[in-house]
Amino acid sequence: MSDGQEKGSKAFDPMETFRGMRDAYLDAMAKTMVEAVNTEAYAQATGAMLEGTLAVTAPFREAMEKSLANTLQQLSLPSRQEVAALAERFTNIEMRLDDMDAKLDRIEAILCGEEEGEPLGEGSEDAAASLAEGAVQSPAAAGGPQARRKAVRRRRMRQRSAGNTRK
Amino acid sequence: MRQTGGVLDSFQATAERLRTLNRVMTTKAAIAQTPKELVWTLNKAKLYRYAPMTEAEKRHAIPLLLIFAIMNRPSILDLRPGHSFVEFMLRQGYDVYLLDWGVPGLEDRHMKLDDYAVEYLPRAIRKVKTVSGAEEFSLLGWCIGAILTTIYAAMLPDEGLRNLLLLTAPLDFSNRNGLTFAKWVDERYFDVDKVLEAFGNMPAEMIDYGAKALKPVENYLSSYYKLWDNLDDPRVVESWHAMNTWVTDNIPMAGAAYRQLIVELYRKNKLINNQLVVRGGVVDLSRIRANLLTVIAEGDHITPPCQSATILTKVSSRDKELYRIHGGHIGIMAGSAAARTTWPHIDRWLGARSR
Repeated sequence: MSDGQEKGSKAFDPMETFRGMRDAYLDAMAKTMVEAVNTEAYAQATGAMLEGTLAVTAPFREAMEKSLANTLQQLSLPSRQEVAALAERFTNIEMRLDDMDAKLDRIEAILCGEEEGEPLGEGSEDAAASLAEGAVQSPAAAGGPQARRKAVRRRRMRQRSAGNTRK
Repeated sequence: MRQTGGVLDSFQATAERLRTLNRVMTTKAAIAQTPKELVWTLNKAKLYRYAPMTEAEKRHAIPLLLIFAIMNRPSILDLRPGHSFVEFMLRQGYDVYLLDWGVPGLEDRHMKLDDYAVEYLPRAIRKVKTVSGAEEFSLLGWCIGAILTTIYAAMLPDEGLRNLLLLTAPLDFSNRNGLTFAKWVDERYFDVDKVLEAFGNMPAEMIDYGAKALKPVENYLSSYYKLWDNLDDPRVVESWHAMNTWVTDNIPMAGAAYRQLIVELYRKNKLINNQLVVRGGVVDLSRIRANLLTVIAEGDHITPPCQSATILTKVSSRDKELYRIHGGHIGIMAGSAAARTTWPHIDRWLGARSR
């Protein structure tokens, strides 16, 4: 088959015409639908549908929740709400731990600064004061210079490597 | 004989196409593959640091923290190997961190934008500073992530934020005619409290429907036709597969944050007017002094350009730039053209300000 014939047969692809028609139809439909969903009428209709669905399902949902809560109580198992309340308390504890971690980082940075023989700047005094007040600040706000952070990292690496050696 | 062979070939080709279709429709692509290390967690939030891809001396001094929306997975920033914003930035020498907000449970239904922006984010930033050893940092917020980073930048402007990048940021809700979402969530038609009373958090399916219904034909029909037409092209198929994996993996939005988004932003437009109150303090945008790059997607139907431009007139930043680019809400960062357009521009802008 010659090149010319190949080109001719490609041009004769009936699916190409179908695809062209399909794409033109989809483009027109897309524009119409974008305009339709951007109307107050659409907003009102979807709002009413949602409202209706919630109203219809609410009694079933409440009945199911009550029955499930009773069953769980009979089985001495915690309800979903109780588990959620417990999870909230865990999050609060995590927050407090994170606060303590921040404070420890700053104390470590100050101590490392002393160890490395770096003069403690005004920032460290501020940091000590804020630590005493229990305020949570970022290390930057505590005035710790980059060198001090590097010292902390060096010290941590030393501790880690010592730990690994012990293992 | 030749005709029979041709018919057989045609059958085999169709069978192969159907196998490919079945695979991409029923399996998940391997996305978010760039190596990373978990450096901090709090509740569902996780902070990752990506493994550097350049030598230490070639790296930028200022770390970059990526913040995505709270109702989608951040894996869109690291979509697939060879086409990943994270990977691109690592190759340009950035120290890249990603804050993944996680999936809120019923216990998180009371979490507000306040909690995300001034409780979780500062803590994650503290960790970024500790790990990187840098005093300053850059923040990139995309979509709702841009709202959170804007609130953070206004509430805590002295914490070392040097560069603020806002991508398709929904900040100004004044143009109600241009915002389809604003019509849908109008208080006359949408009772947000009733929905949250029923579900606690805003269900992922409802959020997904809302996003897709803005362009129903494209999202429910054209996308699949496009795949069908290109089933023989592995490049298109793999790209579609990765994107579909991300699009279909939705997460709910914390109830209180959703309520705030609808009532205080969509309905009352408080953020851009310096009226939003976060933890008892007003979010005053004029307190933002960081270098600012705002990226607007010209074809964005979720965050139309009118929502993102006003911020430039509200901040005190001396160094600020508005970058408009052709594309959609997600396409500008994850589309096939992103690696040639958006990413290099972000790198050029950020690189000059990360020394």
